Amino acid sequence: MAPFDLSGLSTVQAGLLYLAIGFSFGFILERAGFGSARKLAAQFFLHDMTVIKVMFTGIMTAALLVAWAGALGWLDLDAIWVNPTYVWPAVVGGLLLGMGFLIGGY
Amino acid sequence: MKPQAASPYVNPYIAGLALGVLLFVAFFLTGHGLGASGGLQRIEAAAIKVVAPDHVDRTSQYAAVAGGTRNPLDHWLVWSVIGVALGGFVSGWRAGRAKVEIQKGPHISRPARLVFAFLGGSLVGFAARMARGCTSGQALSGGSVLSVGSWIFMMCVFAGAYALAFPLQRLWR
Repeated sequence: MAPFDLSGLSTVQAGLLYLAIGFSFGFILERAGFGSARKLAAQFFLHDMTVIKVMFTGIMTAALLVAWAGALGWLDLDAIWVNPTYVWPAVVGGLLLGMGFLIGGY
Repeated sequence: MKPQAASPYVNPYIAGLALGVLLFVAFFLTGHGLGASGGLQRIEAAAIKVVAPDHVDRTSQYAAVAGGTRNPLDHWLVWSVIGVALGGFVSGWRAGRAKVEIQKGPHISRPARLVFAFLGGSLVGFAARMARGCTSGQALSGGSVLSVGSWIFMMCVFAGAYALAFPLQRLWR
């Protein structure tokens, strides 16, 4: 049952898998317009809601697929990584990251 | 030769759907989502280790990934972040968008834009370590497995950026 134990893969095999995942990630983000600092910043002037549309469509899609795969017994939900919650680092880090995002254009 | 016009971006809902499927595939195959800032931190730690190995061993966040005999580059996040750069470039290149430019608002000079990019980037780097992740590792990945901390983080990112948008609107408009 997924997720798979990847420890049997060689360094190069595992590397290529993550390279492929990363490549797809970068490709999709650029296709959506996230390669443009101006387009990213436009979200915060409410000119262009692409960032929110892409992010939340992505999160909802992945959340549903993960939940369904778990319900069908295809994916062991206890074995996937869930970010632990640290409230104040999330609050302060989030606020600072958002400010840096606007100042730098990510 | 006339430069070809860049292709338009894809519909954001289609892109979001593709992103969600990819995120699911990542969880399904590997047990964790996507990441970016962690990979950059490891590359940074490897660079610092070349010039100042003592500093790496003394600083807990670097020591954790690169202290002693640890190789900071021997990690999935490093492969992933290299893939992101390649994938982004290939996408932009195939769509006719790959060019050297400094994107900025109309009322700001190029040197000022670069200074702000450096300041903002430094702040983002610092904040991503404090929050243990960025928009990829926390907001997208943690968000889709419903981590409470990731959702708090995500809302705070938007709050921080919207709070500065009005006072710093000259940066972008």
